[in-house]
Amino acid sequence: MFDLGREIIQTLGHNKLRTALTGIAVTWGIFMLIVLLSMARGVTNAFDYNMLSRNTAMIRVWGGKTSVPYKGNREGRYIRFEDSDLHAIPEENGEYVEEIRSYISGGGKISTPKGEVSQKYSGVYPSEFVPSRHGDLEEGRFINDRDMEGKGKVMVIPKYYARQLFPPEGEGALGGRVDCNGLSFLVVGVYESRWNKDCYIPFTTARMLSSDRKELGSLSVALKNVENEDDGTAAETGIRETLSLRHNFNIKDDNAIYVSNDFNNALTGKKAMGILDMCVWVLGILTLLTGIVGISNIMFVTVKERTHEIGIRRAIGAKPRKILIQVIAESVSITVMFGYVGIVLGMVATQLITVVLGDNSVLRNPTVSLSIAFEVTLVLVLSGAMAGLFPALKALKVKPVEALRDE
Amino acid sequence: MIILTDVNKTYQGAVPLHVLKGINLKIGKGELVSIMGASGSGKSTLLNILGILDNYDSGEYWLDGTLIKNLGENKAAEYRNRMIGFVFQSFNLINYKNAMENVALPLFYQGVSRKKRNRLAMEQLERMGLSDRAHHLPSEMSGGQKQRVAIARAMITDPSIILADEPTGALDSKTSHDVMEIFRRLNVEEGKTIVIVTHDPGVAEQTDRLIRISDGLIVPSIHFSETGVVKEACKSSDITENP
Repeated sequence: MFDLGREIIQTLGHNKLRTALTGIAVTWGIFMLIVLLSMARGVTNAFDYNMLSRNTAMIRVWGGKTSVPYKGNREGRYIRFEDSDLHAIPEENGEYVEEIRSYISGGGKISTPKGEVSQKYSGVYPSEFVPSRHGDLEEGRFINDRDMEGKGKVMVIPKYYARQLFPPEGEGALGGRVDCNGLSFLVVGVYESRWNKDCYIPFTTARMLSSDRKELGSLSVALKNVENEDDGTAAETGIRETLSLRHNFNIKDDNAIYVSNDFNNALTGKKAMGILDMCVWVLGILTLLTGIVGISNIMFVTVKERTHEIGIRRAIGAKPRKILIQVIAESVSITVMFGYVGIVLGMVATQLITVVLGDNSVLRNPTVSLSIAFEVTLVLVLSGAMAGLFPALKALKVKPVEALRDE
Repeated sequence: MIILTDVNKTYQGAVPLHVLKGINLKIGKGELVSIMGASGSGKSTLLNILGILDNYDSGEYWLDGTLIKNLGENKAAEYRNRMIGFVFQSFNLINYKNAMENVALPLFYQGVSRKKRNRLAMEQLERMGLSDRAHHLPSEMSGGQKQRVAIARAMITDPSIILADEPTGALDSKTSHDVMEIFRRLNVEEGKTIVIVTHDPGVAEQTDRLIRISDGLIVPSIHFSETGVVKEACKSSDITENP
């Protein structure tokens, strides 16, 4: 094995410039493969992170307007959810529904003497702060049951708005007062979130502010026991059935209620990420293929140039298998050696990209894992073997007596 | 011991070329023989068959009691490696390997360790008076030195026969004489069977026997005395013998 290694080093060293020029194509191919894979991984990571932080095991429902007559009711009827729906949906769909939430939004501006932001308030039900849904509570508290019962004029705001309403850094936001819809609200909590900027008030207070005192707004149904698209669809169908029976509309009427099945959407997104990953592999390997064809080509030239040498080796006792192994091993060596340069350069490039761009909503930790490095190595070895195989078979066809004549 | 019985060889092509037309030949162990013939007479084909570099169509070829016929590539390579040493007119050294590496190469294909094959290669180079050239590339050596490296390479596996194709063809007369001296020494001191294909009557005269080939057939051999005078001529029928 070491002897074969020495033989290969000696042979490759004999044509340093050609070996290097051939290898650069492979380095470039692997560099592109690593960078593309890293970018795809970054996009997938960002997608996963965003989905995870938004708790995607959820179905959101809004009331709409019927578009077909149903059981004596004419089309064009508005569907408005009622408080009883908040109990009926979990009761009738216990297998999949973990919890139901609702919120009413309103207003449009929130202000203090020092600043103003264009943001609606969100009246939330139930009064529970869930970090995965809302963000991280930094100061104070969230809406509680007393606020809910007493229709308290309290508000929980994001740090982002706290800085604008209580400049420069939001000092004094907690315990401070903000104006909204002509009412003064006490800020009881400040939270930090990368994506969420809702300003929360008690659900009951929001309903009081609404022109429709029975308004329920949209429903957010948190799911449980859902693992695949079928589960997600079953949960959605169950919710549709419950609401269709309770509000007398055709279950197939897509305009009566609007449903956003976040769970299935996330699964579709994940599938898309999988396709993206696959496309990147295909693209990367096609790029690498250019290098591989180059190596194969150069190995053909090498075999042709070394026909006489192969003849000498055969004459003094090299078995065909030895020649085959040597040519393939040379090809694999060039591929792996220059491929690894590509891997290292690719990793340096992705690290630079990470440092320059940082984590954001579309790219997060765009680096390749060890398993990918292993897979790429496998691709390299296989590519090198493929590149060397045909030239090696050509070398085998060289008859010693003819090769010795070739000078 | 080499015995060829009614060996025929035809190169297939647009016009088939019958190169060897029933060769009967016996070369005894420890003989130093030369083969001469005009271009196209079939002497190189005969040497290739003797060296198991080429196949023949019919007849039999026995080498040291082994029938060499229809061998697979692996077996042929193994026999070439262990039983035959080759010396070529153009030396056929690998140009990016130094003298020692060139000499040691046949042992690489026997799986001998690097340390051992380098030691054996150095011993052969010393015998050829080239120990100071061990780490030189072929391009840094003279023709005579290159041919001595080639002979060292042919000897390293201790083969029973050495086949030399025009070994002095690319050398001046003084160097030719030196090379022939080496062959003579290997023949006398080590009892190696040596077959030399040559165009040079002067080289042929330095061998024990001249085998002449003409139009694919062996013509009566000439035996030389030590002084180079024709000692005996015999008919081809005299040298035909079944193993």
